[in-house]
Amino acid sequence: MTQLNITHVVVFSLTAVFLLVALDRAGELRGPQAAYVPPAKPAPAADIDPDKGKPPLHNDTVEDLPDGKGREITFYTCTACHGVALIKAQGLTRDLWDSSIDLMIEKHRMPPAKPADRAEILDYLAEQFPPRRRGRGGDNPFLK
Amino acid sequence: MLRSGTLKASRRNVLKGVGMATVVGASLPPIGAALAQGTAPAVAPKGPKLLEMDGKAKLAVLGDKPLVAETQAELMDDSVTPTDKLFVRNNGQVPDVTGDPKAWKIKIDGEVNTPLELSVGDLMSRFPNVTYQLMLECGGNGRSFFSPEARGNQWTNGGAGCPQWTGVRLADVLKAAGLKSSAIYTGHYGADPTLAGETNKPTISRGMPIAKAMEEHTIIAFKLNGKDMPLIHGAPVRLVVPGWAGSLSTKWLNRIWIRDKQHDGPGMGGFSYRLAKTPIVPGTKGDEKDTVILESMPVRSVITFPADGARLAAGTKKLDLRGQAWAGEADIKTVDISTDYGVTWKPAKVDPAPNKYAWQRFTAAVDLPSAGYYEVWAKATDSKGVTQPFIAGNWNPQGYGANPINRIRVLVAS
Repeated sequence: MTQLNITHVVVFSLTAVFLLVALDRAGELRGPQAAYVPPAKPAPAADIDPDKGKPPLHNDTVEDLPDGKGREITFYTCTACHGVALIKAQGLTRDLWDSSIDLMIEKHRMPPAKPADRAEILDYLAEQFPPRRRGRGGDNPFLK
Repeated sequence: MLRSGTLKASRRNVLKGVGMATVVGASLPPIGAALAQGTAPAVAPKGPKLLEMDGKAKLAVLGDKPLVAETQAELMDDSVTPTDKLFVRNNGQVPDVTGDPKAWKIKIDGEVNTPLELSVGDLMSRFPNVTYQLMLECGGNGRSFFSPEARGNQWTNGGAGCPQWTGVRLADVLKAAGLKSSAIYTGHYGADPTLAGETNKPTISRGMPIAKAMEEHTIIAFKLNGKDMPLIHGAPVRLVVPGWAGSLSTKWLNRIWIRDKQHDGPGMGGFSYRLAKTPIVPGTKGDEKDTVILESMPVRSVITFPADGARLAAGTKKLDLRGQAWAGEADIKTVDISTDYGVTWKPAKVDPAPNKYAWQRFTAAVDLPSAGYYEVWAKATDSKGVTQPFIAGNWNPQGYGANPINRIRVLVAS
């Protein structure tokens, strides 16, 4: 039997690190993709209100979403970043809600939810916010 | 060529000498006004939530966090979009006000001979200042016309405006830095923190081919309608890349990275600002790899007067309508109006644009032969002969390129 030597350890460690980084879809193990440090902003003058001209603060509550199984986890997962208006404005197929969650993880760095939690959120979104615009797009023979 | 002919008055109206009737109630809610059989609704029709913000008109709020608000069609009636009526599309948070705007710095680096770090004061004094009236239009404008719904903010036609911008040509700045032969694309960065509050990661970072960056009308702007740029619109400096998706017109600009390949920042991949190459079944996921980047925005017309849902006085026989039309990189050649669901069309009068990339006013006198319900449709055609479809086609998961024929509904009282 071959003895474990330092070469084995190095090869094994490098492979493990490579795999971790390669499979890290959320980008938690990588730094920002472009090595870029924004120019230092000049310090605001003492008499300037740094918030002047900003839009009014906005906070939603759980009750702003319709009641249903999965409402709480959906609320706290989604509103960590954006308002509920963005959710409620959309009526999407299950496929599109599913890929919306991928988009939030891949593009907007949402921490991936545990599979059971993700399923609960997806069920909630698909049930509460299905496509609403029927018309000529609602009965497509090729749509599941 | 621009059409300048006037709508021919119908023989009957000439014979009867019918005058222009007064339009009443043109400020009714734009969508959802109950018109059925002329009965008044029991409760006020539910309109969009209206923006309440200093310096801004009561725009229709599509999202509060981040703030996204569109300009209702009847608020797009000004020839030059006033600052308070310009739509708002944020992707992240709004950065803090800077103490000394002229000290704000932007960096030009990457495939250039001389990387530059320029203060806003440098920009203003070193390069010729130019003023143009330029279209700014959200890439997702028109998304709400897709059926079934596409993902994202549900814009009608109000993610667009045409104010006057003052700044310097990006081309002059890039020439000062000296583009290397390897320079093929830009990558834009702004100071807006992400929605999660991070300041060390770009919220969105899109880019364009060098040819677009070198166009005369692509500018780094520091004034909006002659006044210092408001914070919500990108103070102290922003890009204005007219005719293409608004996400290129980076607010709170602090860096332009010249790339030797297509830019790959957030907002360049997936289905973001991309159209499907192979037509996909509406409502399905599609294949991200089978997409092409949205560049020029499509041809679009919006009737700005009267408002959708307007009630016209009894006896009204003619309606003087107004609107705006624009077509991404192209000019508007014609706008046609129909009051019979597209069976017949009559040309509107189309004004020339003050400069390239500005919208064009159209006007028409429309016959309304009797009392009752009318739909007035507008259809613009651009200088390449490309027109608006009857319905939003080429469905894609994130909903770009929807530009169906515009319509308003009016009721002539009996």
